[in-house]
Amino acid sequence: MSDGMEGVVPETPHLLLNDDHSMVRVEGLHKWFGTNHVLKGIDLSMPQGDVLVVIGPSGSGKSTLLRCVNLLEVPSQGSVWFGGRNICDIRTNLNEVRTHIGIVFQAYNLFPHKSVSQNITMALERVLRLPRGEATERAMEQLRHVGLENKADAYPGQLSGGQQQRVAIARALAMKPRVMLFDEVTSALDPELVKEVLDVMTQLAKEGMTMMVVTHEMGFAREVGKRMIFMDDGVILEDGDPREMFTQPKHPRLQQFFSQIL
Amino acid sequence: MASASATVAVAEQPPDTRGPSAPLPRGVLALGTAALGLVLIGTVTIQIWFAVAGGALTNACVEKGLTHYDPASGNGIKGAEGICHMVTALRSGAESAALWGGIALGVIALAIGFRVYRRMDTVRRREQAVAGAVLGVQGAVLGAFLLWFRSTDTVFAFVRNFLNFTPLRPYQKAFFVGAKNTVELAAVGEIGGIIIGLTLAMFILSSRRVVRAPARVYINFFRGTPLIWQLSFFYFALSLGLGLHLGAYIVAMIVFSLNTGAYASEVFRAGIQSIERGQIEAARGLGFSYLQAMRFCIVPQAVRRVIPPLLNEFVILIKDTSLVIVLGLLATQYDLYSTAQNAYSDTFYASSFVAAAIGYLVVTLPMIGVVNKVERRLRSGLVGIGGQAGM
Repeated sequence: MSDGMEGVVPETPHLLLNDDHSMVRVEGLHKWFGTNHVLKGIDLSMPQGDVLVVIGPSGSGKSTLLRCVNLLEVPSQGSVWFGGRNICDIRTNLNEVRTHIGIVFQAYNLFPHKSVSQNITMALERVLRLPRGEATERAMEQLRHVGLENKADAYPGQLSGGQQQRVAIARALAMKPRVMLFDEVTSALDPELVKEVLDVMTQLAKEGMTMMVVTHEMGFAREVGKRMIFMDDGVILEDGDPREMFTQPKHPRLQQFFSQIL
Repeated sequence: MASASATVAVAEQPPDTRGPSAPLPRGVLALGTAALGLVLIGTVTIQIWFAVAGGALTNACVEKGLTHYDPASGNGIKGAEGICHMVTALRSGAESAALWGGIALGVIALAIGFRVYRRMDTVRRREQAVAGAVLGVQGAVLGAFLLWFRSTDTVFAFVRNFLNFTPLRPYQKAFFVGAKNTVELAAVGEIGGIIIGLTLAMFILSSRRVVRAPARVYINFFRGTPLIWQLSFFYFALSLGLGLHLGAYIVAMIVFSLNTGAYASEVFRAGIQSIERGQIEAARGLGFSYLQAMRFCIVPQAVRRVIPPLLNEFVILIKDTSLVIVLGLLATQYDLYSTAQNAYSDTFYASSFVAAAIGYLVVTLPMIGVVNKVERRLRSGLVGIGGQAGM
């Protein structure tokens, strides 16, 4: 990983698409953790505005795949394309790339020593180098978006899980990313708090955000997803329209998966 | 939304569920308290009484060789009257009454408390009966010890050597300077150590072996050799041997910083590693570089967690500064221990070490108190890592 701020590729990736006009493309992706082969050759392409839902049993490699898209996990083999370049190239300025790819985690991962608004403005000021006033303005705008503008001065520890997760979404959105990655963002929430987070994500999908969503929320997958992939044991077993996959799952493993959870 | 406003509610006191008391257990508690109080407060009061009353040397004292000090001839024993008053007070009838009374009350409290505590039907009653019996034992044991001790001949030598501060009067100022130097050496060492330690922690957390290796060598060296060796080597071998001629005091400050840095780096490393992985992932995911993530997200959180162990290091360093005695400091640079050692070799009164101990405790006890308090608050989660509860 390179820490330098100078971009090797001069183009501005936030204006560019990949050669095949996709926003994100994953090619022949393999990932080993030690001797554990987690991803076994993933090929995937996401056009702009896509809402891609990833489902599958735990340990199937869904989260790892998602984390490979912004290189929080470095692929062992294969390539990830974003903004017209292969970001697995070690000369890539990943810090710059990651400002265009928002990510939200299962455990919220808000910074507990910073207030809600500071959680959002920190990256705006330190990474995007926005002046403080502008950063605060953007933070408030995003907090309004997720319905939490009255919590700007609260600390994460004072918020419910659902509120923390909405702040985390606002924090990612404030960077004005081109793609949003959601890693099981409702799995740690009490059932009654899930809806407020899913509502924000549904709204975001309607606004045309390109999203990759790893989730166990089948209702959300069916209603909001434009495309769904089913993963098991490190490979994509089925790829298609969510409604079709729910009503007529083709792969026997998917049929078995649905019979277990639905 | 549901639990949003519940977090800032004023803490309500939990109800006292220990139940009511009763005359019997309360009486046992009073007896036990009286036993220990009689021995402790009685002895102290009688000592003050005899000290204030003053008076000439008694025959018993003169027999034991305590003679009045004559400044002109230098004959006699400095502080002889004070020694005599202490021993006389300890052997007085009033002290006998206090000690025997304390022992008697203690035994009674123990006997009753031990018999009845099992029958008590509320927590408060049982705890009072047990506490009374335990206090009674403490009073009786302490009273018996003093009773035996005052009857021995050693008591004269003990008081004369350890509790006779009169001969130390000329060193009074030296002790205060010593205390100042001790705190100064430790404070500079700790601050230097924190800076070195944080830097080293960054190195040993690096994913690159070539960065980690030199930091490891440094840490292992300073943790693996005695501090006294480091002081000697840096002063005699490096400073004097190479003709750098840094003063011993300066060398001591440098060595304490280098040494504390090695230990503090491990404290910082553990603190940084204790921050959940998700924090750095969130920061990197937002586009922070590794160093930015450390600086703005990880280290500020880790620092709060390592305050207690760092204060502990400080307490250890305060005591370790006594090793500067090997360097041959100027008299104005003496730390507490050197001052005591110096006063002892001049006067041959071990009271100087008692004085030094008091000096060390005056500095370290409040620090230990702070460590315990911070640790309790961190554990209880009150401080949180957020700023809401203040810190």
